[in-house]
Amino acid sequence: MRGRPSSHSQAGGLAGLLLLALLWLPFTAHAAKIGDISETSLSEQAWRFLSFEDPSVRYAVGGSLLLGVSCGLLGSFIVVRKMALVGDALSHAVLPGVALGFLWNMTKDPLAIFLGATIAGVLGTGTVSLITRTTRLKEDTALGLVLASFFAVGICLLTRIQRMSVSGQSGLDKYLFGQAAAIGPDDLRLMAVVTALVVVIVLLLYKELLMASFDPGFARVSGFPVAWLHHGLMLLLAFAVVISLQAVGVVLVSAMLITPAAAAYLLTDRMSRMLALAALVGMVSGVLGAFCSFLGNNLPTGPFMVLAASLVFALAFLFSPRQGVVVRWWRQRSRARRTQRENTLKAIYHVLESRGFAGESVSLRELAERRRETIEDVRGQAGELARHGLATLHEEGNQVLLTPGGWQTAASIVRNHRLWELYLTHEARIAADHVHDDAEKIEHVLGEEVVRELERQLDFAKQDPHGRAIPGAEEIHRPFSSGRSDELLGYGKPQ
Amino acid sequence: MKDLIPPFNAQEVLVMPWTDGLANFGWIALMGFLVAAACGLIGNYLILRRMALVGDAISHSVLPGLAIAFLLAGSRGTLPMFLGALAAAVLTTLIIEVIHQKTRVKQDAAIGIAFSSLFALGVLLISLFADKVDLDQECVLYGEIALVPLEPMTTLGASTLGPPSVVRMALVAVVVLALIGLFYKELLVSSFDPGLAATLGINATLVHYALMSMLSVVVVSAFEAVGAILVIAMLILPGATASLLTHRLPRALGWSVLHAALSSVLGVHLSVWLDCSVAGAMVVMGAVLFALVWVFAPEQGQIARLRRHRADATGTA
Amino acid sequence: MPNAVSNMATPERHPPAPRLMPMPDSAALPVTGPDTPLEVHDLTVAYHKKPVLWGIDLAVPPGRLVGIIGPNGAGKSTLIKAVMGLVPLSSGWVKVFGEPVRRNFTRIGYVPQRESVDWDFPVTVMDVVLMGRYGRLGLFRRPAKRDLDIARECLEKVKLLPFANRQIANLSGGQQQRVFLARALAQESDLYFMDEPFAGVDAATESAIVTLLHELKARGKTLLVVHHDLATAREYFDTLLLLNMRVVAFGPTEQVFTHELLQKTYGGRLTILSEVAEAVKAKAE
Repeated sequence: MRGRPSSHSQAGGLAGLLLLALLWLPFTAHAAKIGDISETSLSEQAWRFLSFEDPSVRYAVGGSLLLGVSCGLLGSFIVVRKMALVGDALSHAVLPGVALGFLWNMTKDPLAIFLGATIAGVLGTGTVSLITRTTRLKEDTALGLVLASFFAVGICLLTRIQRMSVSGQSGLDKYLFGQAAAIGPDDLRLMAVVTALVVVIVLLLYKELLMASFDPGFARVSGFPVAWLHHGLMLLLAFAVVISLQAVGVVLVSAMLITPAAAAYLLTDRMSRMLALAALVGMVSGVLGAFCSFLGNNLPTGPFMVLAASLVFALAFLFSPRQGVVVRWWRQRSRARRTQRENTLKAIYHVLESRGFAGESVSLRELAERRRETIEDVRGQAGELARHGLATLHEEGNQVLLTPGGWQTAASIVRNHRLWELYLTHEARIAADHVHDDAEKIEHVLGEEVVRELERQLDFAKQDPHGRAIPGAEEIHRPFSSGRSDELLGYGKPQ
Repeated sequence: MKDLIPPFNAQEVLVMPWTDGLANFGWIALMGFLVAAACGLIGNYLILRRMALVGDAISHSVLPGLAIAFLLAGSRGTLPMFLGALAAAVLTTLIIEVIHQKTRVKQDAAIGIAFSSLFALGVLLISLFADKVDLDQECVLYGEIALVPLEPMTTLGASTLGPPSVVRMALVAVVVLALIGLFYKELLVSSFDPGLAATLGINATLVHYALMSMLSVVVVSAFEAVGAILVIAMLILPGATASLLTHRLPRALGWSVLHAALSSVLGVHLSVWLDCSVAGAMVVMGAVLFALVWVFAPEQGQIARLRRHRADATGTA
Repeated sequence: MPNAVSNMATPERHPPAPRLMPMPDSAALPVTGPDTPLEVHDLTVAYHKKPVLWGIDLAVPPGRLVGIIGPNGAGKSTLIKAVMGLVPLSSGWVKVFGEPVRRNFTRIGYVPQRESVDWDFPVTVMDVVLMGRYGRLGLFRRPAKRDLDIARECLEKVKLLPFANRQIANLSGGQQQRVFLARALAQESDLYFMDEPFAGVDAATESAIVTLLHELKARGKTLLVVHHDLATAREYFDTLLLLNMRVVAFGPTEQVFTHELLQKTYGGRLTILSEVAEAVKAKAE
């Protein structure tokens, strides 16, 4: 069916623009409803130049980017150190600190909340290590205990504040599930400072953190202060958690630590790249989450950010070039199919060899007998060979004729198999009747270099342990020097 | 800030709940006790098997199951809720296994990703379909145990039993107790030594899944009363406190129940005084009890340890 | 019959030099001081009141290839960790080349057990070997070209240079062990501690490692190697430390690898081991 490409692309373009406009409208319309247009100062003029008009939108996007970076960078260390539960506990334990920070001035003072939350976080991790050191309770129990107890204190304070009928306290419940729109200029400044600190420290101390995370014993022996590095990391972690609270919420911050970093973990084999990727994924999920929560009326931001990050993780899980489940399955399938083709080729070679290479084509029945399978199965295999240009079918598909490429492959496989058998019997001194199965597996994976090495080591032997001829390089390439693919002669006839 | 702590009126805080307020606070305290007892009993096994994180995970991940059950069933029916929660718990376990087995992501991160994604989904559903789903965000986090006495009472024949949540929770608690009693040996051996369990003919995997299912049921029943996060405290605090008091499991189970009773009653008093969330207050008192035991326990408490240290030091010098 | 070192419980911070087990084949008794790679005095390590190492006295002369052998749980790993400061001491002190360990860590090389590390960590072989150079770089500084060259040389020595950019999980057990060795080589130390470097490696790697150890010894390095296999211990090491919570014996292999000392080390449950020891002894005579 032939369409008209230009009109399709036009329609597509139009639809895209419409969609964008539709999405933009609530974004801006809502922004106008949500935030007061606050007084602009000199520093905010600078922000204004960058992109959006509404300050509320800018703060939200800016904040999401910043928290994405912080959480991504620190989360990477959490993931490789297997400290996911610690992140979870820390993010719940800060709640009482948030409440107390609020109570300090009876208003949403970013600095007070930051300090309060950080102190609560530090107290929490301190309590966990106290419990593990002084009782026989294990770390996971201590973490769960501190997580829930501190959170309960926070809830008591929160509900108490709610009933104290204090104005402006509605801002406090936003800390439970996050509201990016509530980020103000002071919040953004704080987030920027903390994120800059995190970036600088990770850059400066990269090799120290890397070594201390990978092999703390070796790091100590090399003279590095591993304990201090750990405490420092915990403190930075507390900072990152606290600045992310407003946008993501107490309950879900730990997901922003773990999920982007886990996605990055699946996408690369190097820590430096993992850090960069985690920050990137964090930023993307952050902005996506902020965007989505702006679309609705009073929707919490945290869940959207987490779901966006989880989506990226799911994509990495499935399609990562090296680790992806789908990718690996596909590769395995291709490999299995290739092995099947090579086994068919080998069987054809054996049939030809058994007739002294007289005649060029092999009937399906001969092949079925050799492979001990049904004619139908063999017909399917022959079809596969034809599809890959390794053979051609004649006489209504009952005769199989190898192409030059097919012949080369078949002879190479047989050579590999017999060389390997010879090697095993001579060098590894395995009995001749034991080597066949090994060789069946190895024949498909020997690379050219290894084969050359084998031939050299075995002095270019001509016969395998069972007395059969090992095809040499000339036999494999000779027959088709004339370049005519339908040349039926010179097929390896004994010279 | 000075308004934070209301004045302590002993009459109101300590006496009233047992006299005028008994009809109200009696049920609340009972519900709290049942929740904490059921959770605490199962929690002992979580602690033994080092599965506190899994308890955390399940308590978060039942949320979308509940939300979807609400949307589909359209009401707060017990059966849909349980089914939804169970389905969510199974889904969580599946996701964790798939992530953990198929890639190099370690188990702790896999658990975190699984339950936070599901929890986020649940919160989303609640926010988007706020009018159709009878759960609000706050309830999710810390429950509405204070509303329990307001429910219409269930009746059995001529006698009034109590609010339906309490009846349900009582049933669950009794079932938990019964199962622990019936399968005591199996649970014990598979928790300490799965290898030995296998040789004794105990299917450790079956025990594991049975425990997980029971945990899901308990968590769902507790959910309405105390919410997703405080239920973790109810799971861990009684057992942790008990383990500081004894090394033997039957006694630990007993101490857990006592802890549950004390923390719920004291929690009621605290919440009356501070006028705050009742569930939160119960957990706070539970934590206070833990702290007290941590200091004063006869063998494992800090004071006892300090005394031992000093005795050792003077003994050897 | 010379005894093992006596237990001197002196409260002073600088006790006199510990008495050594005399070694008849050495030209002179090693003088303890800045030339002695390792001095240990009255080292005791206890976990929760249970002693793991008790009153260890040791002075290792330079240029020795020392095998540390003993039954499971004898504290072999704990000994080298305690000496390096990775495990807290309940009593005693350690001196490396005459100084406390923390002042001389650049002279110590370490090959930990393979299980001590998560091999899924996102680092390449080269990244790990470069870590051996970090100790000399100090805080904040990045590895320079010279460090990269040294790392490459060390990889070449263990025949892993073609694998330099491979993530460490994609290696066999023997290759992983060689990565650790290369890292220790890159440290360019004088005193090496190795924790079961032969555990779970193939035969080819094992002999390669032994060759490497002898090379190091020929260059004047001192090596202390925790080893699990009694049969090969006699072959590989010139000095043996028989350990079972206490030092049972320490000295040249031929003197120490005797039936009765091995009996003492491995306790009563020694039927097969004693037969092996007998056979080995008989073969040597």
